[in-house]
Amino acid sequence: MQTLDLHFMWEAFFIALSGAPITLLITVVALLISIPVGFFFSLVRLNGTPVLDQLCRIYISFVRGTPLIIQIFLIYNVMPILVERFLRSTHSTMSIFDVNPIWYAFLVFSLHTIAILTEVFRSALKTVQKSQLEAAHSVGLSTFAAYRRIIIPQALVTALPNLCNATTNLIKNTSLCYALSLREITLRAKVAANPGYNYIEAYIDIFLVYLIICSLVEYGFKKYEKRLKAYQCISA
Amino acid sequence: MLKFDFFYLLEQIPKLVPYLDVTFLVLILTLFFGTILGFVLAGWKLGKSLILRKLAYTFTTAMRCTPSIVLLFLVYYGLPALASIFAFDLNDLSKIFFVVTAFSLSFGNVMSEIIRSSYLAVERGQYEAAVSVGLTRFDAFRRIILPQASVVALPNIINSILTLLKEGSLAYTIGLIDVMGKANLLIAMNYEAHALETLLALSFIYWSISIIIENANGLLEQKLSKGRTFIKTV
Repeated sequence: MQTLDLHFMWEAFFIALSGAPITLLITVVALLISIPVGFFFSLVRLNGTPVLDQLCRIYISFVRGTPLIIQIFLIYNVMPILVERFLRSTHSTMSIFDVNPIWYAFLVFSLHTIAILTEVFRSALKTVQKSQLEAAHSVGLSTFAAYRRIIIPQALVTALPNLCNATTNLIKNTSLCYALSLREITLRAKVAANPGYNYIEAYIDIFLVYLIICSLVEYGFKKYEKRLKAYQCISA
Repeated sequence: MLKFDFFYLLEQIPKLVPYLDVTFLVLILTLFFGTILGFVLAGWKLGKSLILRKLAYTFTTAMRCTPSIVLLFLVYYGLPALASIFAFDLNDLSKIFFVVTAFSLSFGNVMSEIIRSSYLAVERGQYEAAVSVGLTRFDAFRRIILPQASVVALPNIINSILTLLKEGSLAYTIGLIDVMGKANLLIAMNYEAHALETLLALSFIYWSISIIIENANGLLEQKLSKGRTFIKTV
C-alpha cells in the first residue's frame, strides 16, 4: 500500500491554485453578462410580453432540463462551424484553431447563468408588492427611478442567498471546462498527476482549492447580506 | 459546412433510450442511500451532541464547495486506496458502486438540509399538542410532523432529484455506460461525424424527462397543498 505523496501534493496544490484566475475570470465574465440580461428576461417573464415570454420559457426550460456538460459539448460542436462560416464570409485570415477556448467557456457559462439568474430575479421581484411601484409613481418617480431606488434594493435582499448559491455553483461548474480543454484548476492538477499516477493527491488538492474559493465567496456574500439587512431595518 | 441531418437525429434516439435503465438505476440507488444519509445528518444537525452537529455542518460546507466531478474522481480513486489499507480489494467492483457512492454523499447532504429546514418549518406546538394527547414521541413524529414537513420539503426534493439526474450524466467520465456514456461511444464510433445530432438527441431525452418530472411535481403539489393552512410558512 502506497501512502500519499505529500511532496507531490504540496507542489500540485500550487499548480491547481495557478488555475484559479481562469476560473474566476470565467465566473466574473459570466456574471457580468448574465446579471443584466437575466434581469431583463425576468422582467419579460413577469410582464408576460407576448412572443418573448414564450421564447424565454423554452430557453430556461432547456437550460434547466439538460445537463451542463451536454450544453458545453453542444456549444463546442456548433460554435466552431458558425465561427468558421463567419470568418470565411469576412475573408479573415484568422483560422478557427486560433480561437481561444475561453471564448466558448464565456459563452456557455453566460448562457447557462442567464437562465438560472432569470428565475432568481423573477422570484425575488415577485416578493416586492406592486403597491411599492404605485407609491413610487405617485410621488413622481419615473419607472426607471422607482426600480433603481425602491424595487431593486428590496428585491436584492431576498435574491442575495440565491445569488450566492448561483455564484458558488458557477464556480464549481467551471470544473467542467476540461471538456473545452481549458487549463483551469481541475485540468492543471490532473495533467500534473498524469506522469506519476498521483490522482488521489491531485484531486484532494483540487478539492481544497475549490473549498477555499467557495468559502471565501460565501463569506463575502454573508457579509454583504448582513449590511443590506441592517440597511433595510433602518429604512423600514 | 454545417450539414445537419434531422433523420440521423431521430435514428439516434432509439439507440440511446435502452441505456436509460442504467441512468435510472443510478438515480434510484442514489435516492435510496442519499435519503438515509440525509436523515442521519439531519438528525445530527438537530440533535443535542455538539460534536455530531459540528461534524454534520462541516460535511455540508465541504460538500457544497466540491464540484461533483471532483467528488466523483475522489471517490473513484480514493475509495479503493482507502480500502486497501484495510486489505479490501475494491478494484473489481462495478463502476455503478463508485458513482452511487459519490452521488449519495452529495445528495445526502442536500437532503439533510431539506429535511432540517422542513422539520423546523413545522411549528413546535404541533409536536407538543401531539404528545399532550398521548401520542408517543415516535408516533408524534410519524403521524403529525412528517406529513406536514414532507409537504414543505417536496418541491425542494423534486428539484434536487432533477439536479441529481443532470449531474448523473458526469458518470461517463469514469466509464459508466449510461445514456450519456452511450452517446459518447456513438460519437466516437462515427469519428465525431454526427456529434451534433447525437448530442441533440441526448439533450432531448434529458429535457423530456425533466419536463415530465416537473409536471408531476406541479400536480403533486396541488394535491398535497390541502393541508397547507396548518403549516407556518416562513
